Amino acid sequence: MRTYRSRAGIARTTLIAIIAIIIIAGIVAGYMFMQQSATSKKNVIIIGTTDKVTDLDPAMAYDFFTWEVLSNIGEGFFKYKPGTLELVPGLAESYEVQEGGKVWILKLRKGLKFKDGTELTAEAAKWSIERVARIEGDPAWFVTDFVEKVEVVDKYTLKITLFQPVAFFKAVLAVPTYFPISPKSYPADKVSPDNTAGGIGPYYIEKFVRDQEIVLKANPNYYEKPKTEKIIIKFYKDATALRLAIESGEIDIAWRTLNPSDIVDLKKKKDLQVIEGKGAFIRYIVFNTRIPPFDNKLVRQALAAALNRKAIVDKVFLGTVSPLYSLVPAGMWSHIDAFKDKYGEGPNYDLAKQLLKQAGYSETNKLKIQLWYTPSHYGSTEADVAAVIKESWEKTGMVEVEIKSAEWSTYIELTRGQGLPVTLCGWYPDYLDPDNFLFPFLHTNSNRWLGKPYSNPDLDVILEKAQVETDQNKRAQLYVDVQKVLAEDAPIVPIFQGKLFIVAKKDIKGIVLDPYMLLRYWLIYRG
Amino acid sequence: MTSLKAYVLTRLLLSIPMIFILLTIVFVILRLLPGDPVLAIVGMKASEEQIEKLRKQLGLDKPLWMQYIDYVLSILRLDFGRSMIWGRRPVITEIMEHFPATLELSISAFIVSVLIGVATGLFSSLKPSSKLDISLRIFSIVAYSLFIPMFGMILQLIFGVYLRILPVAGRKSPLVDIDTVTGLYVLDSILTLNFEGLITSIRYLILPSITLGIVLSGVYTRLVRSSMLDVLSTDFIRALKARGIPKNQLLFKHALKNAFIPVLTMMGLQFSILLAGAVLTETTFSWPGMGTFLMERIEYRDYTTVQGTIVFFALLVSLVSLAVDIVYALIDPRIRY
Repeated sequence: MRTYRSRAGIARTTLIAIIAIIIIAGIVAGYMFMQQSATSKKNVIIIGTTDKVTDLDPAMAYDFFTWEVLSNIGEGFFKYKPGTLELVPGLAESYEVQEGGKVWILKLRKGLKFKDGTELTAEAAKWSIERVARIEGDPAWFVTDFVEKVEVVDKYTLKITLFQPVAFFKAVLAVPTYFPISPKSYPADKVSPDNTAGGIGPYYIEKFVRDQEIVLKANPNYYEKPKTEKIIIKFYKDATALRLAIESGEIDIAWRTLNPSDIVDLKKKKDLQVIEGKGAFIRYIVFNTRIPPFDNKLVRQALAAALNRKAIVDKVFLGTVSPLYSLVPAGMWSHIDAFKDKYGEGPNYDLAKQLLKQAGYSETNKLKIQLWYTPSHYGSTEADVAAVIKESWEKTGMVEVEIKSAEWSTYIELTRGQGLPVTLCGWYPDYLDPDNFLFPFLHTNSNRWLGKPYSNPDLDVILEKAQVETDQNKRAQLYVDVQKVLAEDAPIVPIFQGKLFIVAKKDIKGIVLDPYMLLRYWLIYRG
Repeated sequence: MTSLKAYVLTRLLLSIPMIFILLTIVFVILRLLPGDPVLAIVGMKASEEQIEKLRKQLGLDKPLWMQYIDYVLSILRLDFGRSMIWGRRPVITEIMEHFPATLELSISAFIVSVLIGVATGLFSSLKPSSKLDISLRIFSIVAYSLFIPMFGMILQLIFGVYLRILPVAGRKSPLVDIDTVTGLYVLDSILTLNFEGLITSIRYLILPSITLGIVLSGVYTRLVRSSMLDVLSTDFIRALKARGIPKNQLLFKHALKNAFIPVLTMMGLQFSILLAGAVLTETTFSWPGMGTFLMERIEYRDYTTVQGTIVFFALLVSLVSLAVDIVYALIDPRIRY
C-alpha cells in the first residue's frame, strides 16, 4: 500500500510539472501567434511556388521558372506588353531591320547601369550574346542557329547579322538568353550557376538560398519603378504544401503549380481570389508513323476522331484546361481549329468506326495498341489522362489499348531512341510564334527528340518558307496550310491547352496572366 | 592500449570496407536503373550534339569499370565529385547546404520522441494493467504505425490552416533574416542574439518535430515500460525499498538509470530510422534538408550526388553507432570491450 501511494504521489508531481509546461507553452504559443499576425507588410509580397531555380546564368538557364526570375532581374532588347503578345522596346529604345530581315540594328537605352555599376553599352550587349555562343549551354541554339555576327556600331548601337532572315527574330531577342549582363560580374567562358548579379531589370536579387527562398528588391537603376519594393519567393515541395501555405496565410500568392482539385476548392474561399489566364503550353498525343499500324493514316485519323477531349478537360482537369484542336494554341495568330474542322468536336465514334473498318479492323479483329505516359513529369493527373484516352478509343469497340508508363528519364530515352508507338507529351514554347509550335514537331530534321515520328518533304518546304517570310499575312496562310496537313495526316493529335491559375489573397492586385506565362512581379502590389 | 581504445579503432577500421561495399552497391544499382541521366538533365528538346557533349563532360562516355575506378579514387581523396546538374556544384557543398536542416530536424524530433516515449513509458510502468497503462500502450502502437505524410498533413490543417498559429512549411519566415554560423537556425539565432530569428526557427520546427517525434516515440514507450517493469522487480530495487530509500530517488536515480540501457541501444538503432523518417517529414513540410534533396537527385539520376550523399549518410550512421557503443561503456561499468 505504501509503495502504491508513493507512486501515485510521483505521478501527481509529474502531472503538475506537465501542466506547468503546457501553460508556459501556451504563453509562448500566444506570443508566437502575435508574431504570425505581424507578417503582412505593405511593401513586401510573398509568392509561393513548387518550381525550382536551376542555373541563374542566362547562358545556361532553359526552364520556365528560372526564366521567370531572370525576366524580373533582367530585360531583353524587346519585351511583351503585359496582357498582349505585342513586343515593345525593352533595353533597346528603337530598332531598325535591314537587308530584308537579315540585319538588325538595335539602339540601346542610355544611362542604365548593372548592379555592379557597369554601364549598359553595345559592347556589354555584344559580349553577353557572344558569351552564350561561347559557353554552348542548353539555350545556346537561340544564338548559334540564327546569328552570324554581332558588331558594335557605336557606344549604344548594336548590329546583329543573321545567317538568313528570320521572321520571328524579334521574339527570339526577347528570350532571357539574350539579356545583357555585366562583363564584370560574370566569367567570360564558363557558367556561373548561382550568380545573383542578373541583368538590368525591375528587381535585383538581394538574397538567394537554394530550395528555400529568393528575395528580390526594387532596382533603383531600372527605368521604371516596381509597384512593390520587395518580392520574396518561397519554394515548396509539392502542390499540397503550396495549397496549405496559401490557406494558412503564410504566402500572399500561390503560383505554379496547384492541382486542379485545389483550384476548384480554393475558388470557394472567401479570403482568396483565383485569377485565370490563357496559357501557351499544350499537350498532345504522338503517333510514331514509322511503327505499324501507325504508318496507316486511317488508323491515326480514326484515333484522332475518337478522342474525347471534353472528358479529359472535365473529368481529369475539372475545367482548368481547354480542349485544343491544333498544335498552335488558340489565341495565337494563324491558329485554326484544324482537327475540329476535320473530325468534329469529338468524340466522333461513327467516323472512327468507319475509318477503322477501312483500315481492316472490326469488333472481332481489334486494333491493339500500347499507349505510353510518364507518371509525374506532367503532373499527377497523367495516369487519369491515359485512362480517359483508353476509354474513349475503346468505346469504338474496335480498339484494345494497353497502358504503359515509364519514369521521365526512361521515357525520354525510349521515346528518342526506339520511338514508342503512342506517347503522351507536352510542350512549353521557347518563343511565342507559331513556328515554335509546328517546326520542331513536323519538320523532318527537327523532330528527332520525339523519335522522328513523321516526315513529309512537302510540309518541310512550307515550314522552311514560313521561317523566312517576313510578311505576316503570308506567313499566317502558310501556317494555316500546315495545320490542315497536320489534321489530315494526324501524326500528332492535340489534346488540350493549359490555362494559368494564380491563387492570391484578396488584397493583392496587378497580377497579369497572359500567354507569355512568366509572371511580372513588378506589376503586383497590395491594394 | 585499453580495450575500449582497441574496440574504437577496430570499429573505425571495419567501417572502411563497409562504406566501400555500400559505395559499390550504390554505384551498380544507380547504373542498373533504367533512364539516361544525360537525357534527364537536358530534357526532350536537346540536340544530339548537346547530349553527346554533356555525356563526355560528365565522363559517362567512359566504360563502366573506368567510371567506377575514377569514382573510388576520388572518394579516397575525400573528393565527392561534382553534381551532374545545375552548374555542377561540388557535391560536398550541396551536402553541407542541406545537412544542417536535416540535423536540426533530427535533433528536435529525437528530443520530442525521447521525452514523449520516456514519459509515457514511465507512467505506463507505474500502474501495470491500469487504464492509463492500456491507453498508453495503445498510444505507442498507434504512434508507431502513423503514416508521416498523413499525420503531418492533419497537424498542418489543424495548427496551420484552421487555428493559424503555426507555419505549415519551410524553415523560417521569409521576412526574418538569420545569419548562418552553423546552419542550425535555432543555434545560430542564439549565437547571433537574434531573438526574432529564434522565435521563427522554433515556430517552423514545431510541427515537423512533433510529427516525426510522435511517430518515433512509440518504440520508446514500450521499451521504457518493459524495461522499467523488469528493473522494478529486481532484487536490488527490493533491497533499496527495504532500506527506505525515498520513492522519487528510487525511481529516477536507480530504476530509470538501469532501465535506460536498452533505451540507449534503441537510440543508436533509431538514428538511421530517424534519418529515413526525416525524408518523409521533410517532403511533407517542404523542409529543405537532405531527404528532399536526395529524392530529387535520384529522380534526375544525378549519380555523383546520390553516391556522395549515401556515403555521407553511411559515415554518419557508423559514427553515431560507434558513439552509442562508447556511451554504453560509460553508463554501464559492467560492459567491457
